[in-house]
Amino acid sequence: MTMQLARERARKLKADVIRFCERDMPADLLDKSRRHQVLHKDDYVRWMQLLHGQGWAVAHWPSELGGLGWSPLERFAFEDQLARLGCPWIIPFGVKYVGPVIYTYGSAAQKQRFLPRIATTEDFWAQGYSEPGAGSDLASLRTAAVRDGDHYVVNGQKVWTTYAQWADWMFCLVRTDREARPQSGISFLLVDMRSPGVTVKPIPTMDGYTHVNEVWLENVRVPLENLVGEEGAGWTYAKFLLKNERTAGAIVGMAWHALHRLKELAAEVGPDGKRPIDQPLLRNRIGEFELSFLALEEAAYQAVEAMMTGAENGGEASLIKIRGTELYQEIAQATVEVLGPAGIAWDVEALHSGGLPPLGPSDAGGILKDHFYNRAATIFGGASEIQRNIIAKGVLGL
Amino acid sequence: MSTDPEMIALLSDSARRYAADRYNFLQRHAVLQEGRGYSEKAWQDYAELGWLALRLPESEGGLEADGAAIGAVMEVVGSHLLMEPVLASAIVCAGLLVRLASAEQQARLLPALADGSLKLAFAAEALTLRDNRLNGVAASVLHGDIADQLIVVARDGQGAQDAETLYLVDAGSPGVARQSYRLVDGRGAAMLRFTEAAAERLGAGDVCAKTAVEAVCDEAAVALCAENLGIVKALLERTCEYLKVRQQFGKPIGVNQALQHRAADMYLIREETAALTKAAQRALELPAPERARIVSGAKAYIAHAARRVANEAIQMHGGVGVTEELDVSHYFRRLMVNAELFGSRDRHFARFVERSL
Repeated sequence: MTMQLARERARKLKADVIRFCERDMPADLLDKSRRHQVLHKDDYVRWMQLLHGQGWAVAHWPSELGGLGWSPLERFAFEDQLARLGCPWIIPFGVKYVGPVIYTYGSAAQKQRFLPRIATTEDFWAQGYSEPGAGSDLASLRTAAVRDGDHYVVNGQKVWTTYAQWADWMFCLVRTDREARPQSGISFLLVDMRSPGVTVKPIPTMDGYTHVNEVWLENVRVPLENLVGEEGAGWTYAKFLLKNERTAGAIVGMAWHALHRLKELAAEVGPDGKRPIDQPLLRNRIGEFELSFLALEEAAYQAVEAMMTGAENGGEASLIKIRGTELYQEIAQATVEVLGPAGIAWDVEALHSGGLPPLGPSDAGGILKDHFYNRAATIFGGASEIQRNIIAKGVLGL
Repeated sequence: MSTDPEMIALLSDSARRYAADRYNFLQRHAVLQEGRGYSEKAWQDYAELGWLALRLPESEGGLEADGAAIGAVMEVVGSHLLMEPVLASAIVCAGLLVRLASAEQQARLLPALADGSLKLAFAAEALTLRDNRLNGVAASVLHGDIADQLIVVARDGQGAQDAETLYLVDAGSPGVARQSYRLVDGRGAAMLRFTEAAAERLGAGDVCAKTAVEAVCDEAAVALCAENLGIVKALLERTCEYLKVRQQFGKPIGVNQALQHRAADMYLIREETAALTKAAQRALELPAPERARIVSGAKAYIAHAARRVANEAIQMHGGVGVTEELDVSHYFRRLMVNAELFGSRDRHFARFVERSL
């Protein structure tokens, strides 16, 4: 596909996404998501199935598995546009993370068993990567899987496991060889969350919601057939997956959406009869955000194109992650400040029930929740410091 | 109007090879020492390389180069800190002539511009015109010290308040007093005082001069973005090399994470500068309001971001970074001048914000 054609298809896809949101999004889901209310499991399942109805949930998969033959540019533009419209995020653990690992490295039986139910979100997946002693230094993970007949017996603890409380399955990095050097003793296992010995403990976070959990694994028996690819090659699959994790268009759209809302709020006439945006200091600050956004958007899209043509230098995904998350956080903080008293009033119950916040516009509580949640955006998925290490070592050779 | 990508690659390649052979740091040092702030020999080379005809129509033997093609040359102008008036004469003044001059004026001036025998400079500060005579002061004219002729903006006091017309003035004519000076990066400039100076109007007044000047100044701003990109790339390269070889406390200073992360931030700026430069080059083909937004956004962003890279480059080089004998300090000064030329950071930022909010 020529770049010109890829750009045209990405443009058309964005228009299709806008039309889909106007016509086909259920009003209640759209309202909840635009006001950044807490979404529950059934909301997410409904959302993912709506996307699947359009062919979009797995559009990036190979066509024989239900994909639409999207280029990376289309995938990026799609995620960007959904986020600009304030739609829920695409739960990535199934369709974006483990799905491609299974169809690239898995057995025929695994493909047949897991892929159809990933595509339809009949199975909800979680990612078992981080451990208490293995965050940025993931390769030092200690959860152990020991062979016992036709099973592995898994013992250890995972942490920061998003949606583990809802998950049917968890893909998991485990150590199958203690003697090998850290990276080569790791294997990629699929764990049934209903197995005896799996305990999920929620970790409440400051956004008043439970996204993340501890997952304790005590003598959990996992059939050998749930090993993906080769024993000891898990690190290769993990790196393959991380690449998909980092090249995410959603952060561009999230920054756009947050900036758009900030401009709307700043343009509302306050009790003093004035519009905040007419105050020079705030106007200047928002102008700087606009400018940073222009730089982010251009750099991100040109980076995706460079990756498609093989002209990349290896730092592109880190650039998008660093600049996108840092800009988003600055915009969110400014928005909270523009909200004034409504930016410090907090009602968790209302966020869960879809009700109104104590003060301010109907999305004030949701804006705060997202501000809290995304404070971790520069930490999860490879902290900003790790991204800078990647650039310094991998690109600049330092 | 879009230049063939192969032509752009050729231009870029030949410019790089030329600059590496003939305009390295020591050769440039000789030009700086010579006192005129530019090399007549290099100027003739540029004519042969086709740079002075970049902006001219094909009928005049030019390339009708688009933003990307001009950028390919300007990146090298930046990376090797070329001193000659490529921007002022071959891009800005050529652009004004192509847009505004009559057929007779073009036939007379463009060939001389292309073969290097005519150097032009542009005075953007408006003068007054009475009875076909110019009066006023243009305080800061880039390469006004060496220009043979000047293109000036004048108001005739008739018509709308801001109605402007462009005139051509012989720099050596009576009534033009030229006070030459150097800019901090070594390039030349002049303050020009016009007293009842004779002037020739450009064109027949059928094209709006203000619109043409705005378009050409946008082209100049985009060309400067590309020049700055060349500088930022060079600074990042120099700094990374230095971090690997400079030893302190028994190890290369580049093993320190504090410095690695700052180098990574310089990389981020290099990528953004490249992306915004390309976006601004494309924007030159857009209608004026959207063009203005993106061009000014790029110029504003790059002006500060590039200077941040230069500051970091000096800091990481330590004391040697501020010396005359290292190119880093020369890049620093060139970026300082480029930030001011064709619209300061504040002016472009204000223009960007006005069109964004």
